[in-house]
Formats: sequence, C-alpha cells, structure tokens
Amino acid sequence: MCSAMCQGLKSPVRRLANLRKAKNISTSIVHNETILVKNNDEFVHKVMNNEKPVIVNFHAEWCEPCKILTPKLKELVEPLPNLDLAIVDVEENADLVHTFEVKAVPAVIAISNGLVVDKFIGLVDTDMINNLIDRMSNKKKDDS
Amino acid sequence: MAPIDGTFDYDLAVIGGGSGGLACAKEAVNQGARVAVLDYVTPSPQGTKWGLGGTCVNVGCIPKKLMHQAAILGESIHEAVAYGWQVPSLDQIKINWSALTESVQNHIKSVNWVTRVDLRDKKIDYINGLGEFKDPHTIIATMKNGSKKELTAKNILIAVGGRPHYPEIPGALEYCISSDDIFSLGHPPGKTLVVGAGYIGLECAGFLNSLGYPATVLIRSVPLRGFDQQMASMVTSEMEMKGVQLHHKCIPLSVEKLESGQLKAKWLNTETQEQFEDTFDTVLMATGRYALTEQLNLDAAGVKTLSSNGKIVAETEQTNVPHIYAVGDVLEGRPELTPVAIHAGRLLARRMFAGATQYMDYENVATTVFTPLEYGCVGLSEETAAQRYGSENLEVYHAYYKPTEFFIPQRNIRNCYLKAVALREAPQRILGLHFVGPVAGEVIQGFAAAIKCGITMEQLMNTVGIHPTVAEEFTRLNITKRSGKDPNPASCCS
Repeated sequence: MCSAMCQGLKSPVRRLANLRKAKNISTSIVHNETILVKNNDEFVHKVMNNEKPVIVNFHAEWCEPCKILTPKLKELVEPLPNLDLAIVDVEENADLVHTFEVKAVPAVIAISNGLVVDKFIGLVDTDMINNLIDRMSNKKKDDS
Repeated sequence: MAPIDGTFDYDLAVIGGGSGGLACAKEAVNQGARVAVLDYVTPSPQGTKWGLGGTCVNVGCIPKKLMHQAAILGESIHEAVAYGWQVPSLDQIKINWSALTESVQNHIKSVNWVTRVDLRDKKIDYINGLGEFKDPHTIIATMKNGSKKELTAKNILIAVGGRPHYPEIPGALEYCISSDDIFSLGHPPGKTLVVGAGYIGLECAGFLNSLGYPATVLIRSVPLRGFDQQMASMVTSEMEMKGVQLHHKCIPLSVEKLESGQLKAKWLNTETQEQFEDTFDTVLMATGRYALTEQLNLDAAGVKTLSSNGKIVAETEQTNVPHIYAVGDVLEGRPELTPVAIHAGRLLARRMFAGATQYMDYENVATTVFTPLEYGCVGLSEETAAQRYGSENLEVYHAYYKPTEFFIPQRNIRNCYLKAVALREAPQRILGLHFVGPVAGEVIQGFAAAIKCGITMEQLMNTVGIHPTVAEEFTRLNITKRSGKDPNPASCCS
C-alpha cells in the first residue's frame, strides 16, 4: 500500500525540484529543533535532503485544529533523535501547498529520503500520531 | 490597444474576485478559457481591509450569519433553562466580543485561503491589484506598492460589486463605522447607533442587541424599503420587543467625538422637525451601498450604460461594448444577492465559451432577512402584486402560528406570521410567499422551487405538511384576508 502511494506521490518531488529559486536561506541549524520552513530552498535542504525522516506539518494560524495538533507534534517529535518535525505555514508557502496538493489544514506529510511515505488530513488522535512517529523513527533503521 | 495579431493575454479578465466574478472565472476555465481575476480591497474609512472572496465572504453574508447565530445561541442558553437544563449563574452569561470576532475572522481567513488555493489549482491567474480600463481590451492593475501591471483580454467581466455609502454629515467618515468594519471591530461595540433600516442596518442592530449591546436605529422613510411592508413591520415589531429602539422618519445630522471617546450623534425627525441627540460608543452607517464603477475608468473602455446611481445597465449582463460584461451587485435593477451573482456568472461563462443560450432568470429569487426573528420571502410583495394585477384580482391567504418550541420558554409568538399572495382566479397561482419566524431561510428555500414550477394555492393546500415544523404552516393556509376571519390559530394538530 505504501509503495503504491509512493508511486503516485513521487511526482511532487520532481515538481518541487523545479521550484528551486535563489532565495535567502535561513541559517538556523537543525539539531532536534523544529524546522520552521520559510521558503522552497529551506524545504529542499532541510526536509527533502534530510538524512532523517521528517514529519511535515502544514499549519495555519486561523485554523483551530492546527492549534491543537502542532503543539502535540512538537511535544512528541522534538525529544526524538532520529526524526525531525517541520512546520510549513500555508500562508507563507503557497508553492509547497500547491506541490503537495494540500487542500485543507492541518495536513501532515511524512517524508523519508525525499519521498512522501504517508499523509493525513485533519486533526487525528494521539494514537494515530504515535503510530506514525513510531513507524517513521524506525524507518531509518529499516532502510540502512 | 488590442494586439495586432489578435492574441490577447487572456480569454477572460475578471475585475472583482467576489461571488459573481469567481463563479464566472471558474466556469470559464471549465470551458477551457484562459482566465485572470483581479481583486483588490481599498481600505474602509476606518482602515479595515480583507482578503480574496468579495463582500459575501468577508464583510457580508458569512460573518453576518455567524454573528446572527451567535446571538441566537445566547438566547438559547436562557431558553434552555425552561427545558430543564441546569445553567449555573445565568445572569453572568455574556458575550466575549474578541473571542467572537476571532472565531469569525479565522473562518473567513480559511475561506480566503481555500479560494486562493482553488484559483491556483484551476490555473486562474490571481492579481491582487485595483483594475481600471486603459482601452476596451486592456486593463491596468495597480498593486498595493504602487507598481502597475498591464494585461489584455478578449472578454472582460466587471464584477466589482459595491461598498457602503456614507451620508455627507459632519463626523460620518471620521468617526463612524460601516458593515465593512463591524465584523472585525477591535473592541466591543458597546451602545450602538445604526443609521439606516435596510436589511443590513436591521440585521446588525438585531444581532448587536441580542449580544448585549444596546442598539438604536434611525429610519429615514420606512424599514426594509422594497420589501413587503406588512412583513417588515412584524420584523421591526419583534426587534422593538427585544429592546431595539427604532426612530422613524429620522435622519442623522452630525456625529462628534467627546472627550470620553464616546460619540454624540444628533438627528432630526423630518415629520415633527424635532431634533434629538444621544451618546453612543459606536455609530454604524448602513445607508445603502454604491457600485464601484467610478474607479474603473469606463470611458476608456467605451462603456456608456450607466444608471444615475453609477450601476451598469446590462439586461443580459452584456454592456454596450459587446465583449465587456457585468455581473453581481454592480448591475442595475437586479437583486443584490450572492446566489444571483453566482448563477448569473456561471450562465454567462457558458454563453461566452460553451455556446450556451440560457439567460439568467432574475424573477422569483428567494431571499431572507436575518433579523432576530427572520423574514423569508419569494416572489412578489402584496403591494407589488396589487399594483400589477389589482387587488380585486388577488387572494391573500394568511395566518399567525405558534412554533411548538416557543411554548416551553414562553417565547412571544405575536410576530409569527405568514401569507401567500395568489391570483384570485382558480387554480390561484401563487405570486408571493412571505414568512416571519425562526429559520425562515430554511423554510422558504424549498418553496422557491415550487414557485418556479408555478405552484397554485390548490396544490399548496393539497400538500401534506411535516409535523411539527413551522414550514408546514404554509400547507395549513386557508383563511383569506378578504374573508375577515380571525387568522390566529386555535390550537395545533386540528
């Protein structure tokens, strides 16, 4: 099921590569701090090219469920050494919203080695989030 | 200039990203056209601006309905007690204005965003600039930072809508707000004076009052001018019962700001020539809306069909310039309603790009005024019907009714009333339906379809009602005004 999804979801990666423009690159260093994505370049560098899998949270300030989900994701992902969290504000990243076909928020896309491996829309319960995190943080081990 | 080789940047350029403009743009794209949408919001005199989507989404239908709902819920909390709900500290129940406006604005922003994403997905170019004509096929868009962009289009749609009109009295522009500002007002409105008793003024006064902000309304001539006046008086009667102060035949004279920060408003009763004044926290002008045609530089396009109030005369949405069209509130003599603009916009796009021949039918458009007790109607008012057919050729069926849910909290039913205006001759085709009561919009919608089918009183009376509802009262109509019989209900179920 996952590979079929990956097939269908591979094209956004190619589209994203075409979106690279010369822009200011934020210099925040990525340890286990949450990545706040400001532009496409930052996304490519810190998410697509990240050695670790990344949970990408599409977020909007005007979205009530986002205000519940985003802090929860931060709380669960930040302590983990082999999984990163990236927050993409949908108002500031129209290109990414378009590339990943985000039609509603909150949306969570799991990326590993530059490929989309999972996606869910809307506020989901803690169990689903934990399942996703468990799968993602084990992914690195499986792939190596 | 139209390009020499006949190629334009776009097949259709739409000026105005509101209900009509967007509907037309999206349908045009469905038909394969290349489309650009220009949208720009000039800040209100008080500085308010908003995003893509037009009046309805940002400062009209949507926030209005949400605030109307907030007001109703506040009243429901009190009614709940009669049904047995144990509500602690009932007297401490009050509205948090900033929480309300935040929720409303968050919803609006989500709609702005979905609209933008939708335009992008449909490959419609969105230009956030104020459009004006350079020549019949060229538009100049001026962005917020002053930069300009030129574009040419084979067809152009004017869908710029309108904005609130301010009376020319001292203090109006400086101190008063309008419907542009109320839904995002940064502080609770407090004691409010609403100038104007069209549906905007009455709806605002209605929900403000129910939310706990005392409201006063100045009515220049009659409330809800253009609507059935008997129904309008039931609406205002209910508002007065709820504590809204209505001053009939009054026009505003001036608004000045006091040291305390409050506003002193002076007004004149045009019948008695008496002057009045009072202090308010907020003064809201709801004295009509004007079409935004002046800033379009229509002369450069050769568009000449303007009415005396600046609206565009275009029977079939086409102006005197064949490739320039207009839709929505900017049109002269058409209902200023979102569904009208949307429907007309879609049909127009199909005629432009799909060879369709269907024109918009502007007759029998249903609408609802969302005052505390709502008024829904479709078709002709009693006055218009009498004018058109002569009252001796009409039969008006009417009734007062008692919604079942009102009994327990002992809500006043004095203004729960409905009527059907029909032709007198059998089978008595129905010309208009009018309903004052809860959820009037939901009640009337289905009947709009019935009117479109030419429903008669015979058919209506032979329709079995759903019980217990308020809508079923239409099927129970049987007393005519002409008979003089008492239209008050005896009891239900009989």
